[in-house]
This record gives sequence, C-alpha cells and structure tokens, in this order.
Amino acid sequence: MNIDALIAYVLQRLPELWLRTGEHLMLTGCSTLAAMFIGIPLGILIYQIKWLRGPIMGFIGILQTIPSLAMLVFLLALLKQIGAMPALIALTLYALLPIARNTLTGLEEVSAEIMEAAEGIGMHEYQQLMMVRIPLAAQVIAAGIRTAAVVGVGIATLSAFIGAGGLGQFINRGLALANTKLILLGAIPAAILALMVDFSIGAFEWALRPERKKDKKRSTKSFMRLPALMLPVALILVGIVTNFTKPDWISGLQASMDYGREVVRIGSKNFTEQLILGEIMAQLIEAKTDLIVQRRFNLGGTMICHGALINGEIDLYAEYTGTALTAILKHAVMTNPEKALHYVSKTYHRRFDLQWLKPFGFNNTYAITVRKADASQNNWNKISDLEKYANTLIAGFTAEFAERPDGYPGIRRIYRLHFGEVLDFDPSLMYEAIRNKKVDVICAFATDGRIAAYQLTPLKDDRKFFPPYYAAPVIREELLKAHPKLGDVLSRLGGRIDDAEMQHLNFEVDGKKRRIAEVVQEFLKSKEML
Amino acid sequence: MIKLTRVFKTFDGGRSYAVKDLSLNVDRGETLVLLGSSGCGKTTTLKMVNRLIEPTKGIIEVSGKNVLDYNAVSLRRQIGYVFQGIGLFPHMTIEQNVEIVPRLLGWSTRSRRERIEELLDLVGLPAGSFAQRFPDELSGGQQQRVGVARALAANPAYLLMDEPFGALDALTRETLQQELLTLKNQLEKTIVFVTHDLHEAMLLGDRIAILHDGGLEQIGTKEDILNRPATQFVKDLFSIKRPRAWM
Ligand SMILES: Nc1ncnc2c1ncn2[C@@H]1O[C@H](COP(=O)(O)OP(=O)(O)O)[C@@H](O)[C@H]1O
Ligand SMILES: [Mg+2]
Repeated sequence: MNIDALIAYVLQRLPELWLRTGEHLMLTGCSTLAAMFIGIPLGILIYQIKWLRGPIMGFIGILQTIPSLAMLVFLLALLKQIGAMPALIALTLYALLPIARNTLTGLEEVSAEIMEAAEGIGMHEYQQLMMVRIPLAAQVIAAGIRTAAVVGVGIATLSAFIGAGGLGQFINRGLALANTKLILLGAIPAAILALMVDFSIGAFEWALRPERKKDKKRSTKSFMRLPALMLPVALILVGIVTNFTKPDWISGLQASMDYGREVVRIGSKNFTEQLILGEIMAQLIEAKTDLIVQRRFNLGGTMICHGALINGEIDLYAEYTGTALTAILKHAVMTNPEKALHYVSKTYHRRFDLQWLKPFGFNNTYAITVRKADASQNNWNKISDLEKYANTLIAGFTAEFAERPDGYPGIRRIYRLHFGEVLDFDPSLMYEAIRNKKVDVICAFATDGRIAAYQLTPLKDDRKFFPPYYAAPVIREELLKAHPKLGDVLSRLGGRIDDAEMQHLNFEVDGKKRRIAEVVQEFLKSKEML
Repeated sequence: MIKLTRVFKTFDGGRSYAVKDLSLNVDRGETLVLLGSSGCGKTTTLKMVNRLIEPTKGIIEVSGKNVLDYNAVSLRRQIGYVFQGIGLFPHMTIEQNVEIVPRLLGWSTRSRRERIEELLDLVGLPAGSFAQRFPDELSGGQQQRVGVARALAANPAYLLMDEPFGALDALTRETLQQELLTLKNQLEKTIVFVTHDLHEAMLLGDRIAILHDGGLEQIGTKEDILNRPATQFVKDLFSIKRPRAWM
C-alpha cells in the first residue's frame, strides 16, 4: 500500500478514529480519577491501620490477577448491562493497585529522621501526616497514578468487547475480519495515547514541583507551568467533548435529525458472519421501517450477546439453533434441524420472552477441516478417517469450541479423536494458523469463505455428531409487539441465504477485505430487497 | 530549669541500659554540655526531655513540672530542638521551615514574617537571598543554621541541641561554635548541648556532664573536671596520649 492510499484510508476513518480516541480517553481518564479518589485514601488508611494492610492489599492484588476479559464478563453479568459502566468499573479496579500500593510505599518511605523532627517540634499526629508525610510521599503517589493511567490505556482496548467503544473497537473488528490495517488503526493510536498520557502526567508533576533557585531555565518554568498543568485536563476534556458530541457516527447523527423516532438496537458477536448478518438486518430495517438502527456489533461472544438481549441492552441479534440449544439452554444435542428449532423457539419464548424468526437458510455448523493437500495425500474424507492420525496432529480450535459439549469434548467421545496438541485461537487467526501450517486441523465454520480460498477441505460428519446451526434473528417480544412490521420485514430474509451465498458474503469481507456495508448493500440489491 | 532524677532507659527489657541512673540538673540560662562517645546515651537523654522517648524509670522535670504531666505536643512547642541529622523538611522553603512552630502556634502572618527576618539575620542567612530557597540548595553549614533558627523560632525558654555541628568540616564548625557562643550570651536560654568533641564541650559549656555507657561519670565546670577528675575514666580523657578529637 502506498503512502497516498494509506493517508486516504486514515482520512476516511478519521471521524471514527476521533470518536474512538475520545471514548478511550474518557474511559482511561474517568477510571484513573476514580481510582485516585479511592486508592489514595485507601493507601493512607492502611498506612495508619497496619492490620488492614494484609487483607486490603491482598484483595486488590487478587483483583489485579483476574484476566481482563474475565473481569469484564463478570461485571457484565453482575451489572446486567453492557457498555461503559462495567468497563469503567473494571478499569478502576485495575488502577487501584498501583495507586494504593504507591501511596502506602510513599508514606512508608519518608525518612524516619524527618518524621522525628516533625514530631519533635510539636506537630500533632494528623499534622505530621498532612504537612509532612503526605507531601513527601506525593512523588511516589504520582508515579503510581502515572503507571495506572498508562496501563489503563492498554487495558481499555479490551472494553470494546462489551460494547464500551474505545480504540479497541478497531482492534476487535480487525481481529474479527483478519484485517491488519484495522488492527493497526486501533493499536497505533492506543500506543501513541499511552505515550501522551505518560507525558502529560509527567508534565503535570513537573509543573507542580516548586521552582528552585538552581533551576537555570527559571523563566521557562513560569512560562510553561500553566500549559503543563492543563495537559491532562485537556486530554480528559477531549474525551468528554467527543463523547458528548458523539455522533455514533451514522445512526446517532440521524437520531438527532429524526428526533422522536424509535430506536432498535442490533447486536452481533465478534466474527465476520455475525457482522454481516447484523448489517443485513440493520440495512433492511433502515430501508423498510421508520425505526432508527443502532449497531452494537462486535460483542465478545455468545453469552455476552445473550445477556445483553435479556437485559434489554440490545433488541435483536442473529443466533444459531445449535448454539442456543447447547450453550444457552444447556440441552443435549438434537440432530434434527426442525426439532431443534422448534424446541429452541418454544423454550426461548417461555423462558426469556424472546422470539425466533424464520432462519436465513444456511447451516453454519462446525466442520472439522484439514488442508486439501493433507486430505488427498492421506485419503481423508470423513472425520472418522482421522482416528489413527489424531495423536500426531495439532488442532487449532476457538476457545468456545474447545469447551462446548457439542465441540471438542463431544468429538473426543463420539469419534475417539485425541489430538496431539490443542491450541486456542481467535476465530479468524485459526484460519491463518492452518494455512500457515501452524496447525493441521481446525473447527471451521461451514459457511466460511476461507475454506475455499485457503484450499481447505471440510470432513464429512459421518457419525452425525454436529448439531444443526441454522441462524435466525432472535428478537425481544416486547419490541415485536410494539412494531409488528419489524417481524414482517425480518421474515423476508427467511430462507434467502444458503450455504454458498453465505460463504460468498463471508469471503467478500474476509478474503477481499471489502467493507461490510457495501457488500451487504450489493447483496440486498441483488435480492431485490431494498 | 531541667532536672533529671535517677532516670533509666532500656530498649531491650532490662538486659542493657541506654541511660543508667542519670541524675542532673540544668539551671536557668545555663548551657550544659553532655559529653560522651557515640552510643553512650546522649541522644536518648535529650529525647526523654521532650518526650520523644519515655523513660523506663525516674523523673524528668521541666520548669519544675514532671514532663509526663505536660501535654506532649505543647511541651515540645516550648522546647527548641536541633536534631542530630538536622531534619529540615525538604518540601518546604527555608522560610516555611523556620516559621513552622509559630505557624503551629497560630501566630499571625505578620509576626511570623518579622520573626523570620530577625532569625535568619541572627543565624547569618539574610532573608532576601535565602528565605525562598529549599534545604537542598544550601550547604551543610547553612542547613545547620536553619536548624538552629527553626528551634529558636517560637522563642522557647529551652534549647536542646544534638551534635549540631558534628557533620561539618572543621573550619565551618569553628565558625558556628563562635557564633553560638555569641548567640547564647545574647539569648539567655537554658541549653542542653550534646557533643562527642572534648574541645567543643570545653568551649561552649558552662558546665559539662561526662557520660559513659549510659551513666554519669562527672558533672561540673571545666575547672572542676580538669583539676578534680572524679573517676579514672575522666582522668584518661585528658591524658596527653589521647588524640584531641576524642571519640
Ligand atoms: N530506638 C532504639 N531502640 C533500641 N536501642 C536504641 C534505640 N535508640 C538508642 N538505642 C541504643 O541506646 C544506646 C544509646 O543510644 P544514643 O542515645 O543514640 O547514643 P548517642 O546519642 O550517645 O550516640 C545505644 O546503644 C543505642 O544502640
Ligand atoms: Mg546521638
């Protein structure tokens, strides 16, 4: 890619980049501030009350060891909402340790000699603390805040998983679409942001330090002090401004123009097919109804989407019958597609007040997939052919597949396949892994465009193990009642996308790196649905 | 007046004594020098006077009242203390360091300002060029002068000085000793001055108390000690074999 194209690419994304950067600053800034308000008093408290140190530092130390994603998902379940709130809380909890720890260390490290002087000249205990100990610990505390903020910029990229926005959104989307440019569009600004945050807090500290006679560039300091003090404030302000002028780019802008119109919020999981299905439903609803569509795409997995739907954070998303059956309803596998759909829609209606609409048509079941060359060389056609070879093969599975009863655990049972090694992958990286011979077997999705493009062969499920995975819109009944037309519009998609069609759409995005909105529009036009 | 009666201090539950059966008194306006080698209990004795350390046994009186009957904070504010390691507050300017006790006592800004000028003049650091500096912008000798100014700030009747010139080079030390001599004649304070330097003790003390291993060997004027050493230890102190700066 030449420089002009690169500049054009960035320029084209600039409005969104601005928005995401703002969200990112907001997340990092607010959580760091909150952690300061909690962490510094906490550090002072445990300095004063020694026996509290063990329990409190132990507790926030443990918080620190919780993997960020696990923490986000846990808070999501606890708060029953997606978006900024659980992300802010998670970031605050992470920022607590460096701040509280540095406060404690800073207070402890003040020289005993100076404290003895403070006591000896006749300061009360709280005067010793406020006039001497805390001011002398300030540098160390500030260093803790700086660490917290810089680390926070990094962790905040994960907030996009639960719909909190930020630069992680580009990274997520880039990962979902195996699009390096998008990943870098998030990662590079995040790295720059981390440096800026580091610099601005450093400048703030510098400006707060009293001016000394021996400072040669005295005038520089008096001149630069105010701007330096303003730097972190400015960063947070940028965050607030971009958030409150938040156009949410397309839909929000419309929302302000079409004040009073109702909103439907569409969710999606974080892989290409889900993004395409989400976009198809979104464009169709935009074209055929008065409703305003908010796209809350890229949520980090089935449980997050389902949770968001149940809690009314989103109104609909496309789910697969097999996933609903086993992962959500914890039901045993059903191999008959009609029975599975019937059971799922009945149970969803009863338990969740959610309605399954007509399936799109394709069956995106798992397909144990190998390289075409390996298959023809070893004469592999069906999954059971792998039995003899399994312990010499490396498998690359998504984390979800590795754990689900209708995934690897079931394969082991039904086909007695015990692979030599199993590696966990992000869905899109899994295909790169098999293509680059990092792994020999993957759990591809039957509709993935890369099966054909990467010269892979799905093996036949000769023991009929995999349940059917027909995708269909799942929608809150409340919304459906309020807008009956929505059901009609979405039902027009029923049976209109077969396996080949879905593979094609997936490949247009994954393989050809085309924009989803454009691919979807083309598709809907070709079906004469717009 | 400061009076110690049979004071003991142990840090290890009685196995050894940092201060052992110490009785002495410091008269009003007098300078008493506590002389002794490192570890003999000089600092411990001073700290017990302003209650940074509580004695294990015995009675300490200041102005005729047991120190334990004072509120510790108000007692300390009546006693100027020059610490062995100076202990200036590094985040405060010289001016803020000097005015700290008056500020704690609630003096008005104006009287504090006047006092700072006066004191910095007294210790030879003109406010104009020193008031706004920080301690680490001063030489060791200048810092020590600030330490003295801080101790004098609220005009206390008592002054405790713990090896104030110990860490300085010989030349600076001698200058400061001379200045303190002038100062103490001017100020009429009751001073307890701690040193391990025999020469310094002879120069500054109206009377000298010689400590050894926590106990008192002899207390008296220079003449008493030179002419009538009470113990062999004191006698040895002045024998010509000893180097002058006896440690
Ligand atoms: N806080 C303390 N804990 C335990 N031992 C101490 C403490 N302070 C002083 N000591 C001991 O008491 C003795 C006298 O100390 P100190 O009064 O500081 O001596 P000096 O000031 O004469 O050098 C020394 O043996 C010292 O180790
Ligand atoms: Mg000492």
